[in-house]
Amino acid sequence: MPRVHLMADHRRFTDGVATLEVEGATVGAVIDELERRYPGLGELLTHGASAGIDGVIHADPQYLAVGPDTDIWFVAPLSGG
Amino acid sequence: MTATENPTYTWVGTRPIRHDGYDKVVGKARFAADLDLPGQLHTAYLRSPHPHARILSIDTDAAAAMPGVRAVVTGADFPDLDPMNPNFDVSVNVMARDVVLYNGHAIAAVAASTRAEARSAAAAIDVEYELLPAILSLDESTADDAPLVNENNITRFVESDGPSNLATVNVNERGDVEAAFADADLVVEREFETAWVHQGYIEPHACVVDVGPDGRADIWASSQGHFMVRAVTAAVLGWEPSRIKVTPAEIGGGFGGKTTIYLEPVAARLSEKSGRPVKSVMSRDEVLRATGPAPAAKVRVKIGATSDGDLTAIEGWLGYAVGSANDFAGLVGAMSVASYKFPNLKLEAIGALTNTPKTAAYRAPSAPHAAFAVESVIDEIAQQLDLDPIEIRLRNAVVEGDPTAMGMPHPRIGFVECLEAIRDSEHYRSPVPEGAARGIGTGFWFNIGEQSSATVNVNEDGTATVITGSPDIGGSRASMALMAAEELGIDVYRITPVVAGTETVGFTDITEGSRATFATGMAVVNACRELVEDLKARAATILGVEAEAVDWVDGEAVADGKDPLPLAAIAAKAKSTGGPLTETASLNAGGAGPSFAVHCCDLAVDEETGHVEILRYTTAQDAGTAIHPSYVEGQMQGGTAQGIGWALNEEYVYDDEGAMQNAGFLDYRIPVASDLPMIDTIIVEVPNPAHPYGVRGVGETGIVPPMATIANAITRATSVRMTSLPMSPPKILERLGER
Repeated sequence: MPRVHLMADHRRFTDGVATLEVEGATVGAVIDELERRYPGLGELLTHGASAGIDGVIHADPQYLAVGPDTDIWFVAPLSGG
Repeated sequence: MTATENPTYTWVGTRPIRHDGYDKVVGKARFAADLDLPGQLHTAYLRSPHPHARILSIDTDAAAAMPGVRAVVTGADFPDLDPMNPNFDVSVNVMARDVVLYNGHAIAAVAASTRAEARSAAAAIDVEYELLPAILSLDESTADDAPLVNENNITRFVESDGPSNLATVNVNERGDVEAAFADADLVVEREFETAWVHQGYIEPHACVVDVGPDGRADIWASSQGHFMVRAVTAAVLGWEPSRIKVTPAEIGGGFGGKTTIYLEPVAARLSEKSGRPVKSVMSRDEVLRATGPAPAAKVRVKIGATSDGDLTAIEGWLGYAVGSANDFAGLVGAMSVASYKFPNLKLEAIGALTNTPKTAAYRAPSAPHAAFAVESVIDEIAQQLDLDPIEIRLRNAVVEGDPTAMGMPHPRIGFVECLEAIRDSEHYRSPVPEGAARGIGTGFWFNIGEQSSATVNVNEDGTATVITGSPDIGGSRASMALMAAEELGIDVYRITPVVAGTETVGFTDITEGSRATFATGMAVVNACRELVEDLKARAATILGVEAEAVDWVDGEAVADGKDPLPLAAIAAKAKSTGGPLTETASLNAGGAGPSFAVHCCDLAVDEETGHVEILRYTTAQDAGTAIHPSYVEGQMQGGTAQGIGWALNEEYVYDDEGAMQNAGFLDYRIPVASDLPMIDTIIVEVPNPAHPYGVRGVGETGIVPPMATIANAITRATSVRMTSLPMSPPKILERLGER
């Protein structure tokens, strides 16, 4: 299953757990499963986080495919100047 | 489609004369304020004299009756967006509704035949206010009983239980910092402070808007993204974006400050009401009082180290004063502390609202504040441990696979290479001049990808036109032409790069985050590669061979037993081989390569006056691959020069009423050429494997290191640690007096 790494702000939903395995074939499906397990977390991730996968940060990751060995790092949205 | 570490290119990496250079040199280039339409009106704004007040009434009758006046607008002329709408804050910033949020906030605007008539009419608008408590600093904003700066603000990206002065909160944490500090041989902790600073672009915000009888609007504007101008203007007006066509003007500097809008919806409404084109140009005073500065900040940093110089833990609190509305600076600040391996880390960043102008991005937004603190403390550790400032950084520098502040591993990066480049430079190896001191500092920025489009047309004569939607704020046109020349195999001067409007090219995100050469460049490369496949197929038809038998070499189709067929010859037969030769590519680019920079500065401090003279400055930065090295060097030098201004001179000076006291370039002192030596550049090239030519983007990182670099040199010159920006003569004299 994909491994999800949560920002410190979001770990209160998981009793402090930073990394967890979550089923899903896309980032969106993983977020849906997180919402099912931890109500409220999925909403924050959908509207307030980017996803870092294999060293690449994706701003709109909902439909990105993930596999059983994928690490997903949810990070704050980035912008630039 | 990946870059190799040691490629050989024909055009990429060369320094052709910029395609847009002639027009700019002879004055032909058209900026937004250069455009005049028949019958156009001019605008003037009435702006709030108070930092926070409720608007009880606005009487525009007298103004509307004045000579030459054709239209007057107030907040009542714009729809009220839902506070959760992503464009809500911009909508309110463009024109206040019931409450003014900072001194300078727009309250009304007038369109008249002349600017003088518009100004007179704006001055005749009568406003009745109820003054509200004003928050003018980070400390006031975060106090327990602080009044609300903006009753519509809620804290973003975390759970929120109602209006708050907190814009954002972001915490990054790993390991056990308390245990690490207990075990450390040395712990240094300091608090730092930075002032609001402006992006300082020379060209004020400007636009011309013409709303026709059919309700469609033509906008000519200077911005970092004309699709953004279209989208946000439409949102503020309550229109569909397709009602608006935006033509990008040349831009006279942006540096992040033109990633948002201020004038266009107001000019559109004035044009709609008057039935005339409306030209709107800010004064310098308005630019400084009412457009986005970078946040002010307080940063507390505590770092632990072993006696050998291994950095074992960092704990930090970063507070950004983001002005009157929400901003992301507080989100990114902690994440930008990404240069060292700290096994134990706890960084909390917040953004807090103040009754000052809504802040905007400035190159690497929020990173300079963080780097000023972290790089200063690391330098202090190096001094206390008697370690070379480069060596302690090399000892702890991140490499591929090491965690960023948020935990995600770094991809291939070039921080070590930048440190080695400075260590091995003639500058660093030379003795420090008599009476001077030397400082070192480093910087990091993420860089971003996002959406871009490009169309490449091969013309009948074998030249090519490269059309993109990325406003050229740092040389991207020349870079697009160079990458297209490399792909097509033709002379770069046979390529015309064009920045096209919203109805001419596919959607393209803002030129920000050092993304244009990276992401838009990738779109250009993709379009060119499709075009080459088409050219090979056409050549096969002309030569009478199978398509698979044709190769593309140096701008010619080559097949065994046949004479090479140049691109121009294929273009001449386009009609008979299938029609026009054109390809379009669009993408949402991933894989932006982070960029690092290392700076070295020699300076002298006049201990009688507190004046700092920069004697020599060298910057090394990882560009991935420098497509046009002169432009890369220009970005490195420009970011450094702006950082030097931020370090030594620049600050917003407010009175107790939140009125800016230095709203002009005479009193808001940006560096000029005579203030600075030539800034020497070392381009480090560690290709980004996610880009076909290895591009990382170079526009932002250069502004991150200068504040700490200069502070560290001042410390070595005077034995006092400067912790407050700007390090202006009065502050230096004050600290020298404390020795």
